[in-house]
Amino acid sequence: MSADIAPPVPAQEAAAEAGVRVVNVAKTFGSPPAVRALEHVNFEIARGELVALLGPSGCGKSTLLRIVAGLVQADPGGAIEVLGRQQTEPSPGVSVVFQTHNMLPWLTVEANIRLAAEIQKLDRAEIDSRVESVLSVLRLENFRKSYPHQLSGGMRQRAALGQALILRPQLLLLDEPFGALDALTRDQLNVELLRIWQEIRKTVLLVTHSIAEAVFLADRVLVMSDRPGRIIEDIRIDLPRPRDPRTTKALPEFSRYIIQLNRIMGVD
Amino acid sequence: MQADIIKAGWLRATIERVILFVALAAIWEISVVAFNVKPYLLPRLSTVVESIWTFRTTLLIQSLVTANEIILGYIAAVIGGIILSLIIYAWPLARRTVYPLVVLFQGLPKIALAPLMIIWMGYGTSSKVFIAFLFAFFPVVISTLGGLSGTPQNLVEHFRSIRAGTWTTFWRLQLPAALPSIMDGCKTAMPLAVIGAIVGEFVGSERGLGYLILDATAQAKTDMLFAALIAVSVLAGLLYWVVEILADRVWWRSL
Ligand SMILES: Nc1ncnc2c1ncn2[C@@H]1O[C@H](COP(=O)(O)OP(=O)(O)OP(=O)(O)O)[C@@H](O)[C@H]1O
Ligand SMILES: [Mg+2]
Repeated sequence: MSADIAPPVPAQEAAAEAGVRVVNVAKTFGSPPAVRALEHVNFEIARGELVALLGPSGCGKSTLLRIVAGLVQADPGGAIEVLGRQQTEPSPGVSVVFQTHNMLPWLTVEANIRLAAEIQKLDRAEIDSRVESVLSVLRLENFRKSYPHQLSGGMRQRAALGQALILRPQLLLLDEPFGALDALTRDQLNVELLRIWQEIRKTVLLVTHSIAEAVFLADRVLVMSDRPGRIIEDIRIDLPRPRDPRTTKALPEFSRYIIQLNRIMGVD
Repeated sequence: MQADIIKAGWLRATIERVILFVALAAIWEISVVAFNVKPYLLPRLSTVVESIWTFRTTLLIQSLVTANEIILGYIAAVIGGIILSLIIYAWPLARRTVYPLVVLFQGLPKIALAPLMIIWMGYGTSSKVFIAFLFAFFPVVISTLGGLSGTPQNLVEHFRSIRAGTWTTFWRLQLPAALPSIMDGCKTAMPLAVIGAIVGEFVGSERGLGYLILDATAQAKTDMLFAALIAVSVLAGLLYWVVEILADRVWWRSL
């Protein structure tokens, strides 16, 4: 490679094409008996895209998300590129929200939300202003001094979202963030998630069990097979934005997508 | 309103306790008289109270001697126990070598070591402090290690994902997560430190409540013996209460 001849390509511009690129990723756990969780997984997410990952329970969705987050190592042979970098360990610009909240019981909501920013040694005034905006976006101002155990399940998951948003991530990885909640709360939080995303327009990979949730929120829906998980369908959801629960769910296309996905997943 | 309810509950609990206490005292006093129990077996409560008053200076001085031994041994056990646990936890070599030794020593009846400690360290304070330390040390180590390795895995993963370093993870996650368990160890250790100091005084001493107990027994002064026992109970209760107040500051233990 000669640096003289090659045209100077700014690294950021080259990286700007894809938020996430996963090439031929596989994952085998333990041995023996080895569990083959993922096999030949390939997909790409453009920057600013919201992609939902649907699949049956135990098919490896969380594992895939952890691999993209750099928390779990994939088997050798594949490649994971996140925000233009090879992903081998948790990297800046990526935040994860898991199904069970990760708040420290001895810290208040506000302190929990600050934590990640403090650990990244952000400027104090910067943290203060970010915390204010996160609390207001998530409508948690009145609960800033509460402790996690004093919150409802829905508020706790909202605070967990705040823990991720405080870092202003370029890529947000959400593993069934509202999966443990009742359907009503879940719908409400999805609307809020959509509102936040429409403001920040960052790349999002959202793992979910719910077809309706996936169609309502996503630009694209990736469908995974049973274990070992592969991406068997990649469906673009051409519903107009901004979406809102009443009008979007009333569209005939919305129902068509639902029927199509039901058929793919064999639950019709 | 809320405060009134809490106050009423507290008042009620206090009254209940006082009633129980008075009832037990009355049973003691009356049954000694009624069954004509010999004073050298069980003196009347009033006699015991009388001797507490008569020997109040002695009791106080000997209590301070014993308290001093307990507190020094206890603090050494807590600090030493936490430090050793951290070393064992953080350093694989120590985990492989020192930890099995700790487990081995924990099983040893510490009481059997007391005479040796007197030989090595003499009749003075230091041997009692050391025996109290020996009694209190192991529960602190075991519970600190348990707490450190019991950090919830999802939180460990969360800290990895926000790219926290080893030190940050230790100070901001593992230590606070381990504190409830460490505090449990500290609570278990306190009565053991009391036992250690008294045992040390039994084996070889000319001072302290343990010595007073042996001396009163040798002279068949049972009222004095009871006075010393009550002093030991009060001392142990007070010390435990202090530890419990500190432990209650780790309020997330119950979550
Ligand atoms: N740390 C691990 N060690 C061993 N096996 C694991 C581990 N993590 C996941 N697995 C296995 O990998 C498979 C996929 O697990 P994963 O959690 O990714 O599924 P999932 O699609 O997220 O399921 P769900 O929808 O129920 O959350 C499962 O069979 C699971 O037992
Ligand atoms: Mg999962």
